[in-house]
Parts: sequence; C-alpha cells; structure tokens
Amino acid sequence: MPSSSSPSHSRLRLFRLPSILLLTLSIYLTTSWTIPTTLALDPSSPPPSPEHNEKAHLLRNFFGGRGKNDDAHGHGSGSGQGDGKVTSTHTNNWAVLVCSSRYWFNYRHMANALGMYRTVKRLGIPDSNIILMLADDAACNTRNKYPGTVYAEPNQHLDLYGENIEVDYRGYEVTVENFIRVLTGRMEESVPRSKRLLSDERSNIFVYMTGHGGNEFLKFQDNEEISAHDIADAFEQMHQKKRYNEIFFMIDTCQANTMYTKFYSPNVLATGSSVLGESSYSHEHDDDIGVAVIDAYTHFVLQFMEGINKTSHTTMQDLFQSYDPVAIKSHPGVRNDLFKRPLDQVRITDFFGGVSQAEVLLDQDGVVIRDAQNLEDVDEESDLGLNDQDEKITNSSSPKSSEEVVEEDSKSSIRRTRRMDEGKQQVGQAEKQGRMRSWSAIGVLVALGWFVHAKQKSSSSSLASRSGGGGKGQKRL
Amino acid sequence: MLLVKPADEHNPREPSKLFFESENVRRIILFAYWAVIIAATPLWWYTTSIERLSLPTSRVRSQAGNQLKITVPIHLHTGDSELAGGLRKELLQITAEDAEHWNGITVHVDHGLSDPTNGSYIVKFGGEDPSIDSRTVTFPLDEKAKSAPELKQVASTLAELISPRSQQGDPHHRVAQFSPRYRLAFTLMDEDASAGPAVLEWDFKTAFRRHLLPTLNALSQLHNFTVESQVQYHGRLAFNPVQVDEQSYALTSEQLTVFVNSAEWTLSSSASNDPVLHFLLFVPSATRRPLYIEQDGQISNSNAFILPQWGGILIYNSETNHHINLNSTDLDPIFSTFTNQLHMLLGIPQLPADLRSTQVRSRVITEWQLDALQRRRALENAKGAADTLRSIVNLVEQIENMPVGQDVKGDIQNALSALGQMYTASSLAEIFRHSARAFTLSSRAFFNPGMLAMLYFPAEHKYAVYAPLFASAFLPLVLVAIREFKAWKASRRPVKKVDTTKKIGS
Repeated sequence: MPSSSSPSHSRLRLFRLPSILLLTLSIYLTTSWTIPTTLALDPSSPPPSPEHNEKAHLLRNFFGGRGKNDDAHGHGSGSGQGDGKVTSTHTNNWAVLVCSSRYWFNYRHMANALGMYRTVKRLGIPDSNIILMLADDAACNTRNKYPGTVYAEPNQHLDLYGENIEVDYRGYEVTVENFIRVLTGRMEESVPRSKRLLSDERSNIFVYMTGHGGNEFLKFQDNEEISAHDIADAFEQMHQKKRYNEIFFMIDTCQANTMYTKFYSPNVLATGSSVLGESSYSHEHDDDIGVAVIDAYTHFVLQFMEGINKTSHTTMQDLFQSYDPVAIKSHPGVRNDLFKRPLDQVRITDFFGGVSQAEVLLDQDGVVIRDAQNLEDVDEESDLGLNDQDEKITNSSSPKSSEEVVEEDSKSSIRRTRRMDEGKQQVGQAEKQGRMRSWSAIGVLVALGWFVHAKQKSSSSSLASRSGGGGKGQKRL
Repeated sequence: MLLVKPADEHNPREPSKLFFESENVRRIILFAYWAVIIAATPLWWYTTSIERLSLPTSRVRSQAGNQLKITVPIHLHTGDSELAGGLRKELLQITAEDAEHWNGITVHVDHGLSDPTNGSYIVKFGGEDPSIDSRTVTFPLDEKAKSAPELKQVASTLAELISPRSQQGDPHHRVAQFSPRYRLAFTLMDEDASAGPAVLEWDFKTAFRRHLLPTLNALSQLHNFTVESQVQYHGRLAFNPVQVDEQSYALTSEQLTVFVNSAEWTLSSSASNDPVLHFLLFVPSATRRPLYIEQDGQISNSNAFILPQWGGILIYNSETNHHINLNSTDLDPIFSTFTNQLHMLLGIPQLPADLRSTQVRSRVITEWQLDALQRRRALENAKGAADTLRSIVNLVEQIENMPVGQDVKGDIQNALSALGQMYTASSLAEIFRHSARAFTLSSRAFFNPGMLAMLYFPAEHKYAVYAPLFASAFLPLVLVAIREFKAWKASRRPVKKVDTTKKIGS
C-alpha cells in the first residue's frame, strides 16, 4: 500500500508550491475586491467613479431630464393640463403580448404574459384587440399540481388562467415569423380576425415580450431568435403603413434594454428590465408548484398596475419612477427619444385602456328618447330629417392636475436619483463581482486540490507510520 | 518469398493494383466530387437568394409627387357677369385663406342662362329661402342687390357645401378609416332582463328598411355594407353609474369612455376582416333607471353618444313596468339617431345651417353631400395610395432581405395605372373609383404575405451556420485536390526524365 501511494504523493508534491501560491493569490484577490463591494452596497457610500456609469447612462439621462419636466409642470402646465394636451389622439388600443418560452420550467414567463393579459383586459382592451402569443403548456402540464391554473404568486390567490383566456397563437405557432406577421399585417387571406392586428394610424399599441434573451436577441422556444433589428424593422414597416399612432414596448428578459436600442421609428416608447450584461431574475418561487412563478420586473410592473383603474390619471412617468433596481434586482431602462409627448402627460391608460374619448350627441332625437311621452307624437316621415342641426360637443375627459402629486414627484425623484446612483454603482460593481467570482472559484478549486493533497499526504504518512511504527495509535482516519 | 506469400493470402491483390487505387480512378472520383459541388452551386445560390424583382421606382416617385386636383364646376344661372365676377372673387378668397383645407380642390365658376353641362353644380338666384335640391342650390339673392355681405354669405355657404368642415370636434378623429366594405352590427342589449321590466324584442327589419337602407343605398358607390343584428338580455356594466337622486342615475363623461364592457360583451361576429361599426341600444336594468348622461355636472338632454371610429350608443329608458317589444314606431327615433351616428362615423357632411333641403325624401343624402364625401375620400385615398407605394419602395430599398415577388410587382403596377387613370378621369365618380382601386391595390401589395422580410442575420451567424457544414467537407476535398495536383505535376517531370534515360540507355 505505501508503495502504491508514494508515486502519487511525489507527483502531488510537485504541484504543491504553485498551488499554494495560487491560493494565496486568490485569497488576496477575493479579500481585496470584496471589501469595496460590500461598501458599495451600503447606501451611504460615496458616488462611484465615472467609468462605471456607462450602463446606467440611459436611466440617468432619463431621470435627469425628468427634473425639467417637473419644473415646467409645476409652473406652467399645472392648469394647462386640461387643455387637451394630455389627451392622446388615439381612438383605439391594441396589445400584443408575447411569451416566447415553452416548457414547464419556464412557467414564470407564461405567468408574466398572462399577468399582463389580465391587466390590459381589466383596464379595458377587448379580447378582439389583444393578440396573445403563448406556448400555453403550463396550465395543463402534467407537472402542474393545480391543473388548469397559472399563478403568479406563491399562495395561489389569483388564478391568471381563469375561464376567459383567449390565446391567439398557441404552442408551436409562437414563432418569430408569426410575430413579425402580426406586427406588419402581412398575413394570408385565410387568417381569422382574432389573429390579426387590425390597427390604424389612430391606434395605440402596447407590445410586451418576455422570455430568455441576450444582447440584442430574444429566443423563441429554443428554435430561433428574434433580433433587435427585426423588431425595429417591423416597427418601421408599421410606421410606413400608418399602423400605429404610438407604440409602448415593454420587454422582460436578460439584457432586455438592448432590445430597443435599434428602434428608429417615431412615437415609440420603450422600456426594459435590465441593462446590457445584466440578467433579469425571477421574483417568487412556489414550493408547491415547484418552479419560479413570476419575474421580478414584471411582478413590480403588475403590482403598480393593480393600483390603476380604467379612469386613472396615472402617467407613464409614475410607472417609470416606481422602478426600484434594488427590489427588481436589475436596472430597468426607458427610451423616450423617439417619443414626442412628455412622459408626465402620457397616461397609463393611453396604452392599457380602452377608448379615450366619447362624444355626446345633442340632437332632437336624444330629447325625444328622454321624454318618453313624446314618443308617440313622432311622425315617422316628416320629423325625422337627418338635416336637423346637430350640436356635438367633444367630450375630451379633462384631467385634473394635482399639485400634491407634482410635489410628491419631485421629492421622490430626488430619492430615485439617489437610488439610481446606488444602482449605477452596483452596475459598475457587477463586472468586478463577476471577475472576482471567477477568481474566487479558481481559488476554491485550488484550495480543494491543496486540501486533497494534504489529506492524501497525511493519510499516506499515517499509513507509512502505521506500517512502519506499528501501534502508535494515531486516529487520523 | 516467405513474406510475400502470407500477404497474398490475406490481401489477395497488391494494394497498388487495386482498381480504386489506380491514379485515374482516384482522380475521376475527386473530379466527380468537385463537379457535383460546382454544378450544385447555382442551385444553392438560387435557393438561398431572395427573389427581389425590380420595382418601378421612378414611376412611383413621380406619381407620389403628383397631387390630385379635383375641379368643382359651378354654374351660376345668371346673365349678370358682375355678380358672377363678384362671387368668383369671394370664392377664390375663401379658398386662398385656408389653402391647406382646400388643397386638391379647385373651384371653377362660369355663368350664363343656358343649360349647364352635365355634372356641374347650379346656383340659382330667387325664391324665398335658401334651398337645395339634388345639385341645384337656390339663394334668395336679388340680382340687382350685389352688396358685399350678401355675396360673402353666399360664397361661404357654397364653400361649405363643396368642402365642408365639421362644425365641432375633430372629424378625422371620429370618422372611420376608409374601407370598401363595412360591417354594421346592431345590438339591443338589456343590462339585466331578469331584474324587472325589460325590452325583449325589436322590429329591426322594418326600422332598418325605413331609416338606414336609403342611406346605405345612397352610399353604395362608396362602400359595401354587411348588416347584422342581435338581442342580448344580460350585459353587465363594468362600473356603477353615479346616483343623481333617489330615482335617477347618470354616466359621467369618463364612464362614457369605458361604457362598453368589452371583456364580457360580444357585439359583433368575427366572421370577416372588414371594419365593424357598432350600434348599441342599451336598456338599463330596472333597478338602475332612468339612466342619463352627465355633462359638465348637469344632466344632458341627450341619451346618445359616439365612440370615435367604433360606433354609436343610445340609452333607452323604458318607463313601463312590464316587458315590452319595440315596434317600428317606437324604433323611429332610435333609428333616426343611429342613422345620424352612422352619418357622423362615415364622415357624411351636414348641410350648412341656413340651407333647407327640398328633396322629396329629406332623409336621403343630397348630391352635394355625397359629392363632398366622395371628394374627401378620393383625396384621402389618392394620398394613401401614393404614400403606401412610396413606403413600399423605400422599405424594399432599406431592408435588403425583403423579398419582392411577381404579385407584389403586379399590384404595384396596377395601382400605378389606377392612379394614372385617376388623374385623367373626368367625373368625380370615376376619380373616386380609381382612387379606391389604387388604394386597395397598394395596400394589398404592402400586406402581401410574401413580402415578409427575412430575419436579420449578422455576419458571424452566417459563419456559424456555414462553417460546421462546409468546412468539414471542403477541407479534405481541397487538400486532396492540392495533393493530387502536386502528384500529377511531379509525375510528369520524372516521367520525362525516365524516358530520356531510357532512350539514353537503349
């Protein structure tokens, strides 16, 4: 036995010195990098060096520019809000909701899309105007402990699947091609109305995507991927054919913000869950269902949306301000350089709601209907001229400006900005952390090797001593 | 000998004598491989390249630059050239003042007592009230009194007739997008027929024939209509109307916008892809009526409203305490409102306030109105068609992977010729017909399913796809080819040498 162990012993010994060197190096690296990281996580730490700011650039720009809007809002447009500026010029709303993943372990992506579906439907977009693309293999999966349901929180309170779900593109129909066809409207004649985006130049469209993605691409069902160029080109084609008034693009995937960098068509507002090089994480895990049930970004967006009803005056700016990179665990971004209206005048319901305006008809007929006793007097031929002078009053539901909200906004903006700074810092640290992690992994490996080596050495020596010295009684084994 | 023999037993033939080891055979095999690859290259090229037929780009650009000009001939039935001159000047001034609104429309005024040429609008002077009948409009203007304000009034009325602007609101907002086909969906909906007296039936056919059919017939040049109707007994509202007093309820202006409970109501069939205009007669539940519309904090006189481009809604407060069926007489005011709403949604202009129609059936649209609508739609279509064609050309240039097939090219050419015909057409009906055709064809070309751009592939993706496929096949082929070539070259030189030595030796 000692003879057999001795060659390995000697071989290990050769590696001993470098491994110890490596170990010390790795320990040095981990310790020297870890301390600033932990400091950076502390909110009271000083702002980070400028070279780490690149990733948070967009966010910072956006929130920095916001302050100006607030000023204008506070001074000038406080009373001017009701003059129709706020009212969007659209007449109908459409939603395209895409979950590009399939399989049971991607349960959360289906929950994301269904959560959005529930929200847009609740806020008034009819099913005929919602295009839902969903693999739809979660609710009736054999692994689903609660068949026929999809939940987005661990306690199974709200069944998102419900009884009234209209999935327009299901299973293997969820393809890049179909998605592009939906957007551009290039369909075969035979495609039914429910699968079409029949929008026009007065339509506001909300496009939501979720799935697994990366730098400028989103994967569709392990088969193919759509790139940021494809979506940008599709939007341009829609713009050329006047298929939209405004688009609100939202995406929840890893490195989501890269997906809207290629857009070049006007009137597109975009937001994503995470910056380049950053993952988007799931939010909650259900032990009964056995998988993560929703992604963090979508969870917080939906949570925000729960506080909104059909007649809410909440603006997009409020939504974007509600983003909390610490809670979401990634850095959501906003792109509004293509979008013309200021964000504090864009209501959430401009994209998530139904109709924006109604016109009351003030005419003879209306009066007749109301005074029912006059009904009999109406002579069928003579009094029913169409040429009666009609008075129409455009009833642009005028919003009330609330000063408190403005003040609250500016306060919270400061808070947010501070938080963004922290976030920025973290983004800068993310790279460091990654590098550090790989170093520490090497370190751990080396340490393990050293440990094994030491153990083997000691065991061989103990064996040697046992075989040599007889009953010395060492119980190392 | 000993070594050779067992070798012969296992390998009965010398390796160099195997037929496939012969140089020629090996070269032929290699050549065959290369021949297949070279022969297949065009096929591969053909199948992987995108069909992009050339489009008539320059024609599209030149047509898109053209502006449709519709001439409106007006004939003044008078021998007084001074009056005619004055009116002409007033009209010109009006058109010049708002050039944008009058873009594409030119007014041509002539005068005389003779019968005008067919198709022009006749303005007569005399009578007691300003009135309109078909294409003739009569003003009670004394030919002798040519005072400026009266002329101005006449001119502005004429302008209003030729190119009406809506009195209030944004007509572009309200009017449905042009489509050659519309589906009209009429619904009688009880909020809750089980809660008390409700409306159970309506005589839709009679009322429809009486009120809407004349309008639809008059519009048959512009649109083709499909009509459907239904009765629903339970259509819950998604919100609670405001209670005004003990007895009555009201809808606030914000509630009007969310009135349609689209999550639960099915208001039209989805049988076709034509745009749908909805007309809803809503009967509030017995526990919540009468239901009024609140406007600026007051109860409005009207119980009807329009959702732009979507349709019209009318609230019917039944005051009986038993179930009722609405007969055609009951439906008269209701359908009159529906007709009104339809007019507004389709953009049929209203007559100027001071004109009275003397047509036999006053409900039917006058020629003036129809022409004004056609003019507007023709201008819209012409612009839409030109824009669409231009955007197709731009997109094809911009997106390199976009295929252009024969049918797209054909549609574009047909649309161009329709546009060309439109510019040369004489009558308004012809102009409109060609413009609609151009618009439909250009849209069809744009939406051609074959035009779907191939997906964006970065160069590295292409390498990633082709390298594993072709590198493994090409590397040996190229290397063997080089080796064979070298061997062939080498074999030629020594052969010569051998030959010479042989010659020397012999």
